[in-house]
Amino acid sequence: MDRLPRGRHGLSPEFVARNQRDRLIAGLILTLAEVGYQKTTVSMIGRRAAVSKSDFYKHFDSKDECFFAAYDFAVGRIRGAAVDACAASRSAAWAPRVQAAVVALLTLLADEPALAAIVLAEGLRAGRGIYDRYQAAVESFVPLLRGGAPDGPGGHPVPPATDEAVVGGVASLLSRRAIAGETADLAGLLPDVLEFVLTPHLGTEAARRIISAG
Amino acid sequence: MSATRPQLRPEFVAAHKRRRMIDVMAELCAEQGYEATKIADVVRRAHVARKTLYDNFTGKEDLFLAAFDTTLADAEAEVAEACDAIDPGEWEARAEAGLRALLGFVAAHPDAARLALVEAPAAGPASAARYDAAIDGFIVRLREAAPPGAGRAATLEEALVGGTAWIVQRQVRRGAAAEAPDLLPELTEFVVSPYRSVGKR
Repeated sequence: MDRLPRGRHGLSPEFVARNQRDRLIAGLILTLAEVGYQKTTVSMIGRRAAVSKSDFYKHFDSKDECFFAAYDFAVGRIRGAAVDACAASRSAAWAPRVQAAVVALLTLLADEPALAAIVLAEGLRAGRGIYDRYQAAVESFVPLLRGGAPDGPGGHPVPPATDEAVVGGVASLLSRRAIAGETADLAGLLPDVLEFVLTPHLGTEAARRIISAG
Repeated sequence: MSATRPQLRPEFVAAHKRRRMIDVMAELCAEQGYEATKIADVVRRAHVARKTLYDNFTGKEDLFLAAFDTTLADAEAEVAEACDAIDPGEWEARAEAGLRALLGFVAAHPDAARLALVEAPAAGPASAARYDAAIDGFIVRLREAAPPGAGRAATLEEALVGGTAWIVQRQVRRGAAAEAPDLLPELTEFVVSPYRSVGKR
């Protein structure tokens, strides 16, 4: 990242502030991915972001506050990828939209391991304040899954608890790999994850047919 | 005949004190979290000498890990007993019995359940490793107990155990451990239905 030259640079203070704040968030995410949250310091974040320590404290009261902001940003990117894929899928049918969202999710996490590290690995380990955000982030996928979903193969609506358990199960699969630092090959999990997600609403046979077709 | 009170055997007293310290650790963690809990809090509430605690445990983390191990062993024993009472051929009934025992344990021991499910993953690396190993153990046991079948996802049991743990710990976090048994019908269906249609990919 290029450091903005000191002094007059013709950029609005708002732009510079926005720019610094974003760089600090990125700096925290990248540093955390390398050394974990405990070992991350304000100095390390500042160096990574090319922002002075005093400027850090113009944006955040503490390392924790920066962490919360970075966490929310990372969740927004992950959730955004799934939502955008649903919208872009152009399919009125539920299964292709869900498929697109799952592909986008796993691809993003594999391509950007630092996002997986902060949201999935630190989310589980960093204690109460962050866990609440992790839980809310995971739960926010339930309406995405249930929107427009067909009834189960028996003709009965799938209870919300089932989709909550499905989303929790996928989160667990992803978190365990993020904690182990093994997110590079998440694409390999695609058929498993898709089958797990589609089966309660479609039944195993129909789910497998869709997965092998697409 | 002597009229003196019968003495409790020293081993019994020692085991009782050890158990008391473990239970108190769970109580305190439920009230204020692992981080805020101090050895001084434990000895005060358990009415034991500091020396007694340090005769049994090397420190706070050691006591916490012992509480985790004890809770896990107790829960596993209840689940195993419930499953063993069902004919091995009746997989769905067995799964339901095991889940009923698990949810019953959570309802009966909310502080211990909170320690194991909510505090343990975030109480330091040693505790997190214990928690992960416990989850791995449940995954293996589910895979062994489930009916054989070709073409199933290799990660199915991992996803089912992860999803079950997610639902149960969320219930405990909400302070609704007493109502955990209400989760039984939907959790059972969640766990057994992927095994119903067996076929090749």
